[in-house]
Amino acid sequence: MSFSIRKQGDVVVVDVEGQLIVGNRQELKQKVLDELEKGERKFLIDFSQTGYIDSSGLGVLVSLSKKIREQGGELRLANLNDDLKTLFELTKLDTLFQIADTRERALESF
Amino acid sequence: MSDLLEVLRAFTTATGCDAGLWASEPNGPATLETVSRDDSVLATWTPPLEGPPGRATSPGGPVLVQPIAGARRAWVVVGPCTRPDPPLEIFLKFLLPVVTHSLQASLEVEHAASELAERYEEINLLYTISEILGRTVSMEAAAGLILKEISETVGARRASILVHDPERDVLHPVASLGVGEATVPAITVADACSVSARVFRERRALIVEDGVSPCREEEMYRRGTMLSVPIMWTPPGGGMQPLGVVNLSDRASRQPFTAGDQKLITAIATQIGSAIQNARLVRESLTQQRLVHEMELAHDLQMRLLPRAEIVAPDAIVAARVVPAESVGGDFYNLFRLGAGRTGVMIADVSSHGYRAALIMALAMSATAIHAQTSNDPGEVLNALLASLTEELESTEMFISAFYGVIDREKGTLRYANTGHPHAYIITTEGTMKRLAALDPPLGMVDEPPAARTVRWTRNNDLLVLFTDGVSDARDRRDTRLGEPRIIEVIVEHRKEEPSAILERVLATVEEHTAGAVRRDDLTMVLVRS
Repeated sequence: MSFSIRKQGDVVVVDVEGQLIVGNRQELKQKVLDELEKGERKFLIDFSQTGYIDSSGLGVLVSLSKKIREQGGELRLANLNDDLKTLFELTKLDTLFQIADTRERALESF
Repeated sequence: MSDLLEVLRAFTTATGCDAGLWASEPNGPATLETVSRDDSVLATWTPPLEGPPGRATSPGGPVLVQPIAGARRAWVVVGPCTRPDPPLEIFLKFLLPVVTHSLQASLEVEHAASELAERYEEINLLYTISEILGRTVSMEAAAGLILKEISETVGARRASILVHDPERDVLHPVASLGVGEATVPAITVADACSVSARVFRERRALIVEDGVSPCREEEMYRRGTMLSVPIMWTPPGGGMQPLGVVNLSDRASRQPFTAGDQKLITAIATQIGSAIQNARLVRESLTQQRLVHEMELAHDLQMRLLPRAEIVAPDAIVAARVVPAESVGGDFYNLFRLGAGRTGVMIADVSSHGYRAALIMALAMSATAIHAQTSNDPGEVLNALLASLTEELESTEMFISAFYGVIDREKGTLRYANTGHPHAYIITTEGTMKRLAALDPPLGMVDEPPAARTVRWTRNNDLLVLFTDGVSDARDRRDTRLGEPRIIEVIVEHRKEEPSAILERVLATVEEHTAGAVRRDDLTMVLVRS
């Protein structure tokens, strides 16, 4: 379970490896907020290596999305596997996020 | 000195001349140490010792005064004699080497004895400190006693033990001596001029020269020469860590501290280090115990808030259960008998764990109890719930995924609102499954009022199935999820049984899957037939 952060153009790309759950959500949140604090405004969270997100993980994504928006920034999600896509649809969270199928499409959409 | 007395007596017998030995402590007056005859003139008369060596005249006749070379200031005096014109110089030449040698030997014995006494004192100190540490748990109490013992042994009138506070990065005093009623200030670890801070940073002891401290914070700790020693601790895995500093100053003897003092205090500081660490562990363990107890109370409270399934009878037959996780969770369900054959059923999951989630859960339960009685529309009820909790949810960054449905068995309808709750279904006796998907994101994520929808409900036939992700996300030891399909499969297979029987089967399936693995989330399930 870890997060890697790198810059692609002016977009901060975060890879979530493993799971986003109650035990590691704060780490993701802090990493993204640190970048926001530094002045970054475009964020992409890539879930291509993510197996599972629990309800508190979803909570962190929403909380980050709000904070980024408040600072005039944007958050995109990409590469949700079928289970995760279903989870977003079932909880109606798909209406709150801009979700792209691939990282490239997400980057183009900024 | 008894050997020397024998020598002097033999000298007097042989020569007829008296002989005596004078000595003085550094800066002190010379006193007679030994004399060959008790009734000798030398016993009452003091020869001119400080002048140049040579002959002098005593009340009993001429004497010869000669200083002795060596570590101690001493003089040998020969004369007066019973015979006329004694060859004092020749007699002295014979006596001097014998006296010098004897004096040297007795000095060495004295020195060894005092060394031995000092070691005994140190060993005694170490024993005393072990006893103090053995019988006290409070570091503060032990520190005061230890400091008193150390100060007495090395003769320091001013002493202190400072312990590092990692949060503020300061050395704060846990015990001090010789500062009267004054409060000694804490010292910042980064302080450039403080000896204590330097000793802590560099992890090595320091003896500083006589003088007043240039640091205002450290003035209280130091008078005259000062010995400052780091308190070190080595964890089981190795890698020494500094935990604090022991300071000693204002020595009664005004002598500087020695390498021996430093060695002794360093040994004691290591013992203090272990004691500090033990005290911290004990304190942490007590806090942990209290926390566990409070968690149990919170669990208890949560369980008491949940309604009994019978309260909606006979309109509905309900089986409901919350199996709490290790920590306090935020799952809950609620049941309402709304009259005219209508039954309100709610399941919810607060997106966090711990006290705050438990508090939100309790608030949500009491709020829905009020709102469910004032409105018949599930969307309005959830909207009213959101209004009651908006502030709490915003300030805690929490969200509630909730399903609230009203079954009207007379009209054959189920009207529901679903804010982000993924696991809600109707399963018919024929075995078909209809998912009641979320109509809105979880409460607290958006400001729009939740929507509601009506579906058909077949009386005494349909089974409303609600559970939280703790059930579908239950993990085995290899971290594999049980998954929603397996749960639905079990329910469909046993759909014709009583809700309580079906519930037991699902819980048994979860139990079988997890097989003793640690439960990370609450498991909540509600099954309703009406």
